[in-house]
Amino acid sequence: MRITLDIIAAVSFLSTIVFGTAGLIGLFRFPDPYSRLQSGSLCGTTAVFSMFIGALALAPNGAVAARIVILTVFFMVSSPTSSHIVARFIWNSGVSPWKPEEKD
Amino acid sequence: MKDQSESDSGMRKHPIKPITLWNIIRFFITAAFLFGVWLIFAFRWDSYAVLSGLAGSFVISGLTYKVFIAEHEASLNSIVPWPLRLIIFFAVLIFSLYTSSFKMLVAVFSGKGSPRIVYFKTRLRSDLARMVLSNSITFTPGTITLDLNDDHLIVHWFFCNTRHAKAAGEAVKGRLERALSRAWR
Repeated sequence: MRITLDIIAAVSFLSTIVFGTAGLIGLFRFPDPYSRLQSGSLCGTTAVFSMFIGALALAPNGAVAARIVILTVFFMVSSPTSSHIVARFIWNSGVSPWKPEEKD
Repeated sequence: MKDQSESDSGMRKHPIKPITLWNIIRFFITAAFLFGVWLIFAFRWDSYAVLSGLAGSFVISGLTYKVFIAEHEASLNSIVPWPLRLIIFFAVLIFSLYTSSFKMLVAVFSGKGSPRIVYFKTRLRSDLARMVLSNSITFTPGTITLDLNDDHLIVHWFFCNTRHAKAAGEAVKGRLERALSRAWR
């Protein structure tokens, strides 16, 4: 049981590193604010969520685990709200999205 | 936001409101929610913790229940979700979070994508369910809700492959909306 939880935590922290790095790279690669927000959400939600899952797997007792679950729920409410506010401001200021030049 | 300001101005027109059953229900739901969160954070079961938490949650509920649950909600079922179905919805949400994260990961390194702004409607009726839907659309990488106006959603979709509004809606929110409509009516 212990070793299984350790493996789950290790995989979660690894995915935190991978998604966080990819989000950061995307933040500099994409040309327009919408796409940058998309890769920022890769960094800001998936990476943090994986970190919460890893912390949940390493929780020593039920009290800490319950607190982590509540923190995760609050995070699931607050994080999309903040990126939605930024996106809505971009939308209202009239920025049109980036179109990659492909033959399509 | 808009509903809040409307109900505020409505309250100013009629300052004294009778105590209705709906107000009492709203009050007790808010108090129960606050008390539950308090119990989880404190995780103590002695009488001091429980009683002070109960008193605190009743005071805060009396101050804030008008903000926490809007007055115009249709029924109890549009606020309080089915617990088991909510867990199913969370499982669907986490699954779609990771699948779209991997898609986005590939897109970051290849630099390929077809970002476009799409418009569609939702058939959810409760305000809370619509808010949860637009929040979970933003939560999954690859889609960001730009605006939610009654039941019209404006979404920036990174992997757009259709111009048809219904098909786009099905691709972006189909699974999430089905799981949500079971949880919140």
